[in-house]
Order: sequence, then structure tokens, then C-alpha cells
Amino acid sequence: MKHAKLIFLLAATIGLTGCQSKVEYGDATEVETVNENFGSADLQAIATKMVDSMLTFPPVMVLTANDRPIIFVDKIKNKTSEHIDTESVTDSISNKLLRSGKFRFIDMTKVDAVRKQLDYQNNAGMVDPSTAISFGRQIGAKYMLYGNLSSIVKQDGSTKDVYYKMTMRLMDLETGLIEWSDEKEIRKVRSTSFLGL
Amino acid sequence: MKNGLLISLLSLSLIGCAFNSIFINYPSQIAPIKAQLNTNKPIKAADNILDNISGADGLLYAQEAGRVAQIAGDFTASQHYYQHAVSAYLKFDNKATLSVSDVGATTSSLFLNDNVIPYRGPGYERIMLHQYQALNYLFSGDQEGALVEVRRSNNLQSSEQARYQQSNKSVQAIANGTIDAEMDKLDQAAGSINSSFLNAYSYYITGVLHEVLGEPNDAFIDYRKAAQISPNNAYIQKDLVRLAKQLSMPQADEFEKRWGRPNLAKKGQGEIIILVERGFVDEKQSLTVPFRIHDNWQTASLATYSFNSPPVAKGKITGLGKTLTAAPIANIDALALTALKEELPAALVRQAARIYAKSEMAHKVSSDSKSRSNATELSAIAMQIFNVVTEQADRRSWLTLPKQAQIVRTYLDQGQYSLQLDASTPSKIEVKSGKTTLVWVIDTGNYTRFYTIII
Repeated sequence: MKHAKLIFLLAATIGLTGCQSKVEYGDATEVETVNENFGSADLQAIATKMVDSMLTFPPVMVLTANDRPIIFVDKIKNKTSEHIDTESVTDSISNKLLRSGKFRFIDMTKVDAVRKQLDYQNNAGMVDPSTAISFGRQIGAKYMLYGNLSSIVKQDGSTKDVYYKMTMRLMDLETGLIEWSDEKEIRKVRSTSFLGL
Repeated sequence: MKNGLLISLLSLSLIGCAFNSIFINYPSQIAPIKAQLNTNKPIKAADNILDNISGADGLLYAQEAGRVAQIAGDFTASQHYYQHAVSAYLKFDNKATLSVSDVGATTSSLFLNDNVIPYRGPGYERIMLHQYQALNYLFSGDQEGALVEVRRSNNLQSSEQARYQQSNKSVQAIANGTIDAEMDKLDQAAGSINSSFLNAYSYYITGVLHEVLGEPNDAFIDYRKAAQISPNNAYIQKDLVRLAKQLSMPQADEFEKRWGRPNLAKKGQGEIIILVERGFVDEKQSLTVPFRIHDNWQTASLATYSFNSPPVAKGKITGLGKTLTAAPIANIDALALTALKEELPAALVRQAARIYAKSEMAHKVSSDSKSRSNATELSAIAMQIFNVVTEQADRRSWLTLPKQAQIVRTYLDQGQYSLQLDASTPSKIEVKSGKTTLVWVIDTGNYTRFYTIII
């Protein structure tokens, strides 16, 4: 009897320690399915697809054969019903494109900071004028990369279906022609369990 | 002895709940906060709401906290609380069909009252949550975020409708004289409203946001829905005519014939849209019916609304060079009434089961005590007191919502104006040529707040 009690206590202790919350490192590229919302796996899938598609598109390959064209990335418009950090999506895409060594980028999000710095160099009287970078020497972008992220969400009882579509385009700023365009579709279905907490 | 143990166990389990709505009725918890909102002093009483956000009714308290912060003009804090409520709703959505915690809550509701069931608001509250969250985003300068909330609100307007239609089929009406009479009264008071979630105000806000943020086609769809629900609102009619013309919709001529030529901005003019929210939505009252079963006193308590709240006056807007009358677009009171009417059948099923469970408990205790000595008579009386005291109507609902929403919309020459609602303190606003000035006026009865943004 006494033994049984002891065993029970032991089992309970072991059982409880199993419930302790813990922190682990995971693989950053692992497919994540915590819930049906836009997640890291979607972001990575979109970035990979877009970059591969652009770099292997024959006319773009011609453009980049002897030159590293200059691109600026316009913000991706979030047309979904979720609050998504689309800047992070564009960051991943421009990062990969830049790392391919075929393009150069202009970062429009930092224009104000650059202007402040140049203003300081030229007008504050603190910087040796011979080393100050003067205004109006930057190189203009030739292409604009932009896109839309939209979604369709449907829910019926225990099933929720989310469809994402990311469209991206590369526009020649001089001619206004679209040089490249592609889309990536993602579909996720969540069904709630019949029994649960 | 056994009964004494049972009662002390029951009382013990109740002490833990004494601070939420199981014992203290919900409206009396919110009343001091509403009183504070009605003055120009900073709000202090919100602490006890904030403590409850992590509790079982966290959803409801998060909604209240968000709205309190919003009325006070703290849009960032409001956004945070509303986000909490949104996640709570999503948790409900993702719950298993047969959830252990749901079954547990329903079972305890059989011994206590419906207040132990975690609060899940009616459809209109959830839609208004996203509508208000959209305004939070807009007033904190995040237009893309505002549009996301608008889309969520639109999605819900269709999905809540589907949810309601399903649940309505599965609930059967209960025949009972007193309750039928109460249902009839609710029916009459709700007036022409036939669903608790289709709300012209929400459609109008999503329409306005779509329009000012450059999506006129979506705005047209929302305005049309708003016009269907609130067909006599002249401002919506003018919006429809104008957008139909602008987008060359096939209905343009028909709308023009019906409602007249559209108003268009002249050179140097800007648009002003005023959203007027007045009063606070009605509180649920409790309807208690006492009766005797097996010689034991029992009560049944149901939530209902009082039917004598005075109508809301149309706001007079002065200080814009001309006097404008605000046109009512939605009665939140009527939505709340309809929501209660939709919930009542299910509440009645639980009520019947509860009366049975409680009377059986009382009967058991009293027959036990009779068969033994008079010493245990005490436990029989205690059981009856327990039954009557715990029988509380479920009076929970989002109470810091306005009673009625009204709108005004017109074009004005650019410049500074001193806007006034009825006899409120004037508020300075600016109208810029080619821009839209959105003014959100929250009138809590004795005090009026103005929030303005130029888009």
C-alpha cells in the first residue's frame, strides 16, 4: 500500500515536470503551421519564388548580362485582411536579388536619413568641405519593383480556407514598360478538431 | 453532515468568482466608468476592468477597456486592448466542436447561472470591434492597417450572418406565457431591425474609409448595403448618387431620378464627414419569476431590456456657416435587443435544465433532513437560499458602446471652423481644399469629445 502511494507520487511528479514550458531553438526555414495566418514559411516561399522567377526570366537575363541595373523597391501593398509586415517581404526579396550580384538597389526608406546626413556634411560647418559629399550626385534608379499581396478568406463551420496571392512586377521607369511579372499563390486550410479543450 | 460538506464546497467554489459577473451584476461594475467618461476628468476607474482582461470574460472586459481608452482619445492603448479582444474571438473560432471547457462551463451554469459561461459577444459587437479598431488605426496614422480592419469587418459581416442562420435553425422555440410576452415586447422594441449584426453604421464607416483611402468601388458596395439597412438617410443617398456617377455605374441614372443630383465639391472646397455617437447603449435588466417546486422556493431570472428609454435627439451641428442636422444611421439599442432575442431560446433551454437541477438538489437536501433530525433543517434552508441567490440573469454586454450613431457630410470652403454639437464646447477644425476632414464626435450625455483627422 505504502509502495503504491510512493509510485503514484513519483508518477505524478514525473507527469508534472513533463508539462513545464521550455524554450528550444528551431530551424528558421522549417515549415511553420502554428495557425493559418501569414507566417515565415509563406514569406520564404514568396521570396524564393519571386527571385528565382526574375533571375531566370530570359529578357531579365539579357538586361543583367553586361550590366547591374539599378532598382528601387516600392512598398508592397497589403490588401489582405491581416496585419502583415510587407516591408519584411520586400527586404527578403531585395536581399536575395542583391546577393545574386545581378542588380543594385536604392533604398527609398532611408532617403530622409541620407538627406539629413548630407545636410549636416554641407551646412553644419562641422565637416571639412573637401570631404563632404555634395548634393545631387546619387544615381537614379532605372527600374521599379512593386507588388500587391491580396487574400481571400472563407470560413464555414469548422473549416477556414485562406488563399494568398502575391503579384510582383518590374517596371522600366523610362519607358513605363513592365519587364517582368509573376505571382505566387498559397492556399491554407484549417479545420478545427471535433474534440478538444 | 454530507449536505453540510456539499454546501461549504459550493460556497467555497463561489468565493473565487465573487469579483466577476457571477455575483455582482455586470452593469453595476461598468456604471462608475461610464460616469467618469461623462466628465472631462481623466478616467481612473478602469483598473478593475483591466484586471479582468485575463479572466474568463476577458473578451468583454477587453472590449470595454478598448472603448474606454478610445473615448478618452488614447488610440494606441485602445488598439492594444481591442487586439486582445480580437484574439479572444479567434480563440473561440478555433475551438473544437466539442470542447471540454465549453461543456464544463455549461455544466456549471446548471448549478449557478449563465454568467459562468465565458462571454462571447453577439455578432454586432464583433463587427463594431473591427470598425472601431479601423478608426484606431486611422487616427494613429496607419491607413493600410485601417483598411485591413475594414476588410475583416466586411468578412465578418458575411460570416456572422451564416453563423446566425445556422444556429437559428437548431434552436427551437419554447412555449411559455410570460416568456412569449417578453419576446413580443422585444420584437416590437427592435422595430424594423431584423438581424443583430447587419448594422448600417459599420457599413458606412467601412465605406467612408474605403472612399477616403482611395478605393471608391469598395465604398460604393458598402454604401449600398448601408442604404438597404437605413433607407431614409439622405446623406447615404447623396453618397450613392455621387459615387455611381463617378464610377459610371449602371444604376447612376436610376439613383439620380430617385434622390436628385449629386453634391459635388466646388473649387477650393474640402469635404467634411462628421460621425456623431450619442449616449450609452441600454443595459440588460433582469426579469425574475419566483415559484415553488416540491415546496421549495425557486426563481428563474432572465435578461431583458427596459422598454422606456427616451429616443435620442438628432444632433444640430453649428459653426460651419450653416446649421446641419445629423441623420441617424444605426440604433445600437435595437441591435442589442435583437441580439438578445436571438440568444433567448438557447438561454431558455439552459434555464429549464437549471431549474430542474436546482430543484432536485433542494428536494434531496430537504427530504434527507426530514428523514433525520431537525438539526439538518438548516442545510435545507441554506440550499434554498443558495438556489435563489445564485439565480442571476446574464446581464453582460458591451456597455460603453453608443446608443445611437448619426452622420453629417457636406462640402465646405477651405479654412478654419469652430464646430459645435448642440450646446457643446466648440472645437476648432480645419478644412483643406480637395481633402477630407473626418470628425468623430462622441457625446456621452453631459460631455462631448471631438477627434479630427485630415485625409
